Amino acid sequence: MTDTAASSTLRFPVRTHALGNGMRIICHEDRSAPIVAVHLMYRVGSRDERPGRTGLAHLLEHLMFEGSLHAPKGQFDDLLERVGGTNNGSTWLDRTNYFETVPSNAVELPLWLERERMAFFLPVLDAEMLEVQRGVVINERRQAYESRPYGLADQRLHEMLFAGGHPYGWPTIGYMPDLEAITLDDARGFYRTYYTPGNAVLVLAGDLSPDDGFALAEHYFGDLPPGPSIPPLPLPADLAPPADVSHETMEDDVSFPRVYSAWAVPGYGTREWVALDVLAYLLADGDSSRLQRALVREGRLAQDVDSYLYPTALCGVFGIVATARSGIAPQALESAVRRVLDEVAGGGVSDEEVLGAVRRVRRDQVSELAMVEERADALAYAATTLGEPEALERVMDLYAAVTPEEVRRAAEAWLGAHRGATLAVVPRAGAEAEVADAA
Amino acid sequence: MPPEATLPVLPRPTLGPPPAPRVPRPERYALANGLRVVAAPRAGVPQVVLRLVLPAGSVAEPRDFPGTASLVGHLLTEGTESTSADELHARLDLLGAGVQPSVGHDFTEVETVLLSETLAEGVALLAEIVTRPVFPPDQTERIRAESLDALVARLDEPANVADDRALLEAFGAHPYGLPPFGTTEGIRTVPREVLAAFHAAHYRPAGALLVAAGDFDPAELREALERGFAGWSGAAEPVVHPPIPAHPANAGRLVAVPWPDAEQSEIRVIGLGISRRDPDWIRAGVANFLLGGSTITGRLGANLREDKGWTYGVRSAFSAGVQPSGWLVETAVDGEATADAVAETMREMRRLMEEPVGAAELRRVKDALMLSLPRLFETPTGVAGRLSTLEAYDLPRDWWDRYPAAVEAVTADDVRRIAREHFDPERVVRIVVGAVGGVDGR
Repeated sequence: MTDTAASSTLRFPVRTHALGNGMRIICHEDRSAPIVAVHLMYRVGSRDERPGRTGLAHLLEHLMFEGSLHAPKGQFDDLLERVGGTNNGSTWLDRTNYFETVPSNAVELPLWLERERMAFFLPVLDAEMLEVQRGVVINERRQAYESRPYGLADQRLHEMLFAGGHPYGWPTIGYMPDLEAITLDDARGFYRTYYTPGNAVLVLAGDLSPDDGFALAEHYFGDLPPGPSIPPLPLPADLAPPADVSHETMEDDVSFPRVYSAWAVPGYGTREWVALDVLAYLLADGDSSRLQRALVREGRLAQDVDSYLYPTALCGVFGIVATARSGIAPQALESAVRRVLDEVAGGGVSDEEVLGAVRRVRRDQVSELAMVEERADALAYAATTLGEPEALERVMDLYAAVTPEEVRRAAEAWLGAHRGATLAVVPRAGAEAEVADAA
Repeated sequence: MPPEATLPVLPRPTLGPPPAPRVPRPERYALANGLRVVAAPRAGVPQVVLRLVLPAGSVAEPRDFPGTASLVGHLLTEGTESTSADELHARLDLLGAGVQPSVGHDFTEVETVLLSETLAEGVALLAEIVTRPVFPPDQTERIRAESLDALVARLDEPANVADDRALLEAFGAHPYGLPPFGTTEGIRTVPREVLAAFHAAHYRPAGALLVAAGDFDPAELREALERGFAGWSGAAEPVVHPPIPAHPANAGRLVAVPWPDAEQSEIRVIGLGISRRDPDWIRAGVANFLLGGSTITGRLGANLREDKGWTYGVRSAFSAGVQPSGWLVETAVDGEATADAVAETMREMRRLMEEPVGAAELRRVKDALMLSLPRLFETPTGVAGRLSTLEAYDLPRDWWDRYPAAVEAVTADDVRRIAREHFDPERVVRIVVGAVGGVDGR
């Protein structure tokens, strides 16, 4: 292997400006398509909720699409659609985002709408709106959790991994009783606390000059009051707690056992996080990767195996998920995964494995960042979690420098048997007959 | 005083004229062996997306062995005349190449995503995989066993049961009536020789199509293609499409599949739809967008989600196929609201048949469709997808240039006619998987 040839450095030049009220504006100009991505990210997520009110951040995100004083219910999506735009929002552990992509002539419309719901949302928030969106979210939860095979596994895995009140321990969608219990005052209070200019980052990416972008941002957001300062939440003392040996089995209406393992690891953007990301690709992305060979292609124990690393701020979460083939017990999957991790930690990995993994990371980064919408998200996320948008390029550049020894050390330091949580989901006793009847 | 009481209200912005979409002007040529190539280079992110489209979907497979086309697709990367499966994967993974075969009813598409600097090696590997697979017995049996397990796992999910049942209800014994990945029986019994024969018959340069989009040098691509695909020859066997049923056997009825302890019900409504080549395609798209093309603003979404809160989402769409390949409404609703949700869906469908759509609503939908064009050609994947559709269905090459005018020409009468032809409750089948107590067949 001569050079990294993971080469082609990705560059996303930005200019940054802060408004008087503290709102940060980031402009990234790219004229290749006549569209602009508008991305507003608030530094608030499910980690800022209180026990008993989980799901509040996400339910509020739903409410934010239901209208504002001068753009009443139904108008938000309607106005954006009729100019050829798209819009959505999402809530996660550390942040909530609202984003629109529009033809470049229409860039002011999403800015006007975001101003509306940053300044004129509370007067329209009412009980009926809350009840309808509570129903929508409860159905979202049923669809993705209760009614989906293995749907409750991630929730349980996180409870196990983040026992003891760590704010990554509950699901972003919220627990069902909490969703039922959320009140109008909860929603109002959360909005007042976190939906302020000083807690927001606005990215304008695409067919727009930074100067024009800054002027538009000043026009639509410059006069908004900064809002109260945000009370700091008590954070866990150790952000990546070494969990005790933690192992559970859960029954579900499924045909095959599936084994989930997760570890708390260093947070997004650290050098160790980047080495772990390379490790995640090296372990299970691509049919020649370690876990695909050991569990699927050669071992023939699993139908599928996947690995992932969350880019979360307080700490990262490294996960491995494998589904058993017929006749294979979950214990066989667990020991095979453990064996592979021990081999990596003990015997290390090759230059070629690292090179291939870095290229595969790069392939996925390039695919994702081909869209200005995704680029705006990535820049907003870097600014929100790492302090500045330039951190995105810095993180991407770290990949080319990752060495096999760093990958080995990451496996050894963070993915030890004593640190992880493992959950085996197994077919419910007697479930087979039921499913046969239904089909 | 709340901040909103003192803040100035800014007028809603007035917008300038929309930008012209940058529709790609690809280069088209054929290799010496007859493979059609459509190349759309554009500087940007260092990525090349290659989409090889073959007339090798499940419609082309032997009727005794549903799943043949899918197994062949999966086995392309599992060993060739000169390279073992393990070595192939090692080479692909070292390049960072993503090769994804997807098998549909009419076509098999092999999408390859490459970093620009790996173009030449990537094309060589793609050519080897597609033209010279050998279906080694060991790998064939492994993929067969994994596929059989995956079929069982799929049916753990009521949404999949509903999807499969919908196809069956609409198309019966036509190959469109089965999912493109086949059946347990077909996958279990298809001999290896049949896989090889299917490949030999349908993976041929004449009849196939390769679309390239992204950041590449066109001359380098052409040279790599000529070199890589040089040993490939012949024409794909013609595919016989059996006739589509005149109407679904259970048209006008509701099919209920109980699911124990379901908190939600999966609802599907399916009709026959139209061919992607049908002159009504754009008119049908406008009518469908009004009803359920957008999960929030469509009439179904506005009713079932935004007004009632019964569901996270509801959508409807015409599927693209060589033959009419379905018009489908899909949603998952609160179990207790099942019967009401079915009734409201029917009511919205009937309303489009009976009441002319108002000018403002029609204007809104046309604008949404026409003005979203600039977004469609942003990424290499988007460009490759759109160009391959045009070529695969043999649509006019200036389709996207003519698209805005074609959308503009759609009238309220057109919408009503489409609704009568396709959204008539008497012409569709309703499928409910889940809490079926309280729903009836009327």
